[in-house]
Amino acid sequence: MMTTSIQELDGKLVATLSGELDTAAARETEQALQPLLDSMGKPVIIDCTSLEYISSSGLRILLGILKQSKASGSSVVLRNVNDVIREVLELTGFVSLFEFE
Amino acid sequence: MDPTKKRRVSRLFIVVIAAILVEIISIAQYERVKSAMEEEMGVRARVVLGAMGAEVGHMMELTEATMRENMWKVQQDLEHPDSAFISLVYLVDDNPHVIGGFLTFVPDYYPSKGRLFEPYVKKSDGVITLSQFAGQDHDYTQNEFFKRALDSRRPFWSEPYVDAADSSETLITYAAPVLDGKGRIAAICGLDMDVSWLGDTLNARQPFPSSFGLLLTDDGALVAGPPESRTSRADLEAALEEIRHGEGQNDGKEISYRSYQMVRAPYWQVVQVYRTQEVYARIWKMRRQQVLLVLLGLAILAFMIERFARSEAKLREASAEQARMSGELTVARRIQQEMLPKTFPSFVYGSLEPAREVGGDIFDFYTRDGKLFFCIGDVAGKGAASAMLMSVAHSLFRMVTRTEEDPARILSVLNGELCRGNDSNMFVTFFVGCLDQYSGELDYATAGHEKPFVLAEDVTLLPAKPNLPLGVFPDTHFEGQNCTLSPGTTLFLYTDGLTESKNVDRKPFGRDRVEAVLKSFMKSTDQSPATLASVLSKAAHNFAGKAPQSDDLTMLVIRFAPEAILRDQITLVNDIKEVSRLNEFVKAFCGKLDIVPKTMAALRLALEESVVNVINYAYPSGYKGSVDILAESDRKQLRFTITDSGTPFDPTTVLEADTTLEAEDRPIGGLGVLLTRKMMDSISYSRRHGQNVLLLTKYL
Repeated sequence: MMTTSIQELDGKLVATLSGELDTAAARETEQALQPLLDSMGKPVIIDCTSLEYISSSGLRILLGILKQSKASGSSVVLRNVNDVIREVLELTGFVSLFEFE
Repeated sequence: MDPTKKRRVSRLFIVVIAAILVEIISIAQYERVKSAMEEEMGVRARVVLGAMGAEVGHMMELTEATMRENMWKVQQDLEHPDSAFISLVYLVDDNPHVIGGFLTFVPDYYPSKGRLFEPYVKKSDGVITLSQFAGQDHDYTQNEFFKRALDSRRPFWSEPYVDAADSSETLITYAAPVLDGKGRIAAICGLDMDVSWLGDTLNARQPFPSSFGLLLTDDGALVAGPPESRTSRADLEAALEEIRHGEGQNDGKEISYRSYQMVRAPYWQVVQVYRTQEVYARIWKMRRQQVLLVLLGLAILAFMIERFARSEAKLREASAEQARMSGELTVARRIQQEMLPKTFPSFVYGSLEPAREVGGDIFDFYTRDGKLFFCIGDVAGKGAASAMLMSVAHSLFRMVTRTEEDPARILSVLNGELCRGNDSNMFVTFFVGCLDQYSGELDYATAGHEKPFVLAEDVTLLPAKPNLPLGVFPDTHFEGQNCTLSPGTTLFLYTDGLTESKNVDRKPFGRDRVEAVLKSFMKSTDQSPATLASVLSKAAHNFAGKAPQSDDLTMLVIRFAPEAILRDQITLVNDIKEVSRLNEFVKAFCGKLDIVPKTMAALRLALEESVVNVINYAYPSGYKGSVDILAESDRKQLRFTITDSGTPFDPTTVLEADTTLEAEDRPIGGLGVLLTRKMMDSISYSRRHGQNVLLLTKYL
C-alpha cells in the first residue's frame, strides 16, 4: 500500500512517500508526483521517513524528478532514508546524485 | 670449458693413460724377456763351465797324478844328468794333455853341465824333441816361478802364460820339487799343458755372431779366448779392459759380459762376452713392433671410445629426455590430482586411484544454484598426453558449466574444443550430469562412457543413449536425457579401471561383480557415498590380488537424499499488478524461514526486478502469458526458480547500468538486473523445455 502527498512549505516542494514503492505502485506514484516535475525551480524535498521499500521502478521516478529539477536549476533532497533503501541507493550509485538530510 | 670439449679431453686423457700403462707393461715385459734371456745365457754358460770345469779338473788331476806317480823315476834318474831326459820323456809321453816337460836343476848340481842345467822335452803331434834350455840368455834362477818352487817345496800350478816359443799357445805348468836322497831339492820338475783348446771349446757354439767366451784366472789373466778368426785382438783387448775395470754386468756400454766362477781350483772364471746391441736388438725389434701394435690398438681404442662416447652421449641425452618425460609425467599426475576435488559434502564422494603410469581419468563436481554438476571421464590411453587432454577436458567442464547446465550442450562444447588440434586421435569418454538437489531432477548425457548404476529399489543401469566419445568428430550431436531421482537414490559412476581390474589370471573384475557388490551394499545400514567407494575399492583390490593396477581406478558416488525442503510456488499472469502478489508470496515464504527484514527486502527486490522483467518483456503486448515462481529452501540456502514460456531471453547477459554516470546521462533501464545481481548470491539462466528458467540463489 503506497500513499503520496505533496506540500509546499517555505517555497520548497515537500513530497511525502509512505509504504512500499514497488513496480505495482509505481505508475500511481509517478502520477501523484507529477506536480514535482513542474517545480519551476523550487527545491524539492522527498520525505522518505515512512518509505519502507523501493524497487527500480521507484528509482526511475526519483531519477525523472531529479533530471527535471536539475534542468530547471533546482535540487532534490531525500529526507530520512532508511537503511534498506539507502543500500539500494548505494548499490545503484544514486547516493552520489541526490542530496540527503 | 664447454662440457663436450671437457668430455673429449677426458677421453683423450684416458687414452694417454692407457698408452702410458701399455708402455710400462711393455718395458716391464722387455725387462723380463731380457732377464730371461740373460738367465738363459747364464744357464748355457754354467753348462759350458760345468763341462769345462770337469774336463780341466780331470786334466789337472791327471797331470798331478803323472807327476806324483813318476816322481820316483825322476829321483832315480838324478844320478846321471842325461837320464833326466829319459824321465822327462816318460812323463810327457804318459799324459796326452802334457805338451812339454822340463827339469830345472838348482845351480851347479851337475858340475859337468855347468852352473845351469835345464833339460826340456817337447811333444808336438806325437813327436818328442829334446833340448837344453838354459844358457846366458835364460837364467831360470831369476824366474819367479823357480823361486816360488824352491820356497814352497810343494807342487803347484802356475798362472797361465804364453809360450815363449809359440805365442799362439797358452800354457800352464804344474811344478813339483824333485828331492835327492838327502831330501834336498835337486831340481824343479815342470809339466806344461796347453790350454788354448779351452778357448776353442768355449767358442765352438756361441749364441750370437759376435759373442765370445773367455777363460780367465781369478786375477783376470787370460787363460783361453776365442780364436782370432772369431774375434779381433782389439775387441778382445777391449773386453778384457772392460772386465778388469768394470764389475759384473755392464750392459749400459757396448759390451756386456757375465762371469762364472769355477768351483774347483784353480778358480778360473768363464766369462761370456756379448755385444749389447746384438743381444738386445731382437728384443728391441720385438718391442718396437709391440709398441707399434699397441699404438695401433690404442688408436682403434680411441676411435671406439669416441664412438662409444658419442652413442653414450646420445644415450645420456635419451635418458635425460626420459627423466624429463617422467618429470613431465609427475607434473601431469600432479595436475591431474590437483584438479580433483579434495573435500566432499556428505552426499558426494569421489576417488581416483592412479595407476603406476599416469592415466587420463578424472571426476569432478560442483554445486551451483542448488544443482550438482558432476562428471567422470576417461581418456583412451595413458601417459602425459592423455593426462593433459583430460586436464583440458576438466578445465572446459568447469568453465562451460558455469553458464551452461544442459549436459548434452556441455558435451558439445567440450567435444568441439577437444577435436580442435587433436592430431593424436585421442578420445575421451565422458559423462556429465546435473542433479537438482531440491527436486531430484537429473539431466545427463554420456559421451561413450559406461552407464552409471542407479541404486534405488534395486540396482539398475541408468538408461543412456550412447553418444560418441569426445574428440572423435567435431560435429557429433550429443543427446541428453533426464529423469527424476527419488530421495534416497544413489548414483554410482566409474571408469573401466574398475571393471577391468585384472587378477593374476588376467580375468577382469567385470560389471557383474560390481553389481553384486552394489547389491550387497544396499543391505547395509551405512549408505554414505564414501563407504560405498571404499567397499568397491577393497572388492576390486581383493580380486586383483598381486596383479599390478594397470589403469586409473576412478569412482564417483552421488546420493540424492535431500534435507527437509521447504517449498512454495505461485503462478502470476503477465500483469504489473501481480507484483503485489509476488511481494506477498516472498514475504510469506521468508516468514516461514525466519529471515531478517533486511535480507527479506533484498530478496523481494531481486524477485520483483526479475519477475517484472518477465511481465514487461517476455510476451508480446496483449498476449496473456504467465510466470511461475518456485521457492525452495533447505534452510541453508534459498532458491527461486522463475520460469516463463516467453521469448527466449537471458537476463544475465544484460549489461548492468553504469552507476557512476551523472543524473542527466542515466538511462532508465539496466538497474533491475544490477539490483538482482547485487541482492542474490548466484543468478543463472537456462532454457529448458522451451522455457526460460532463471535461478536466483541466496545463501542463508
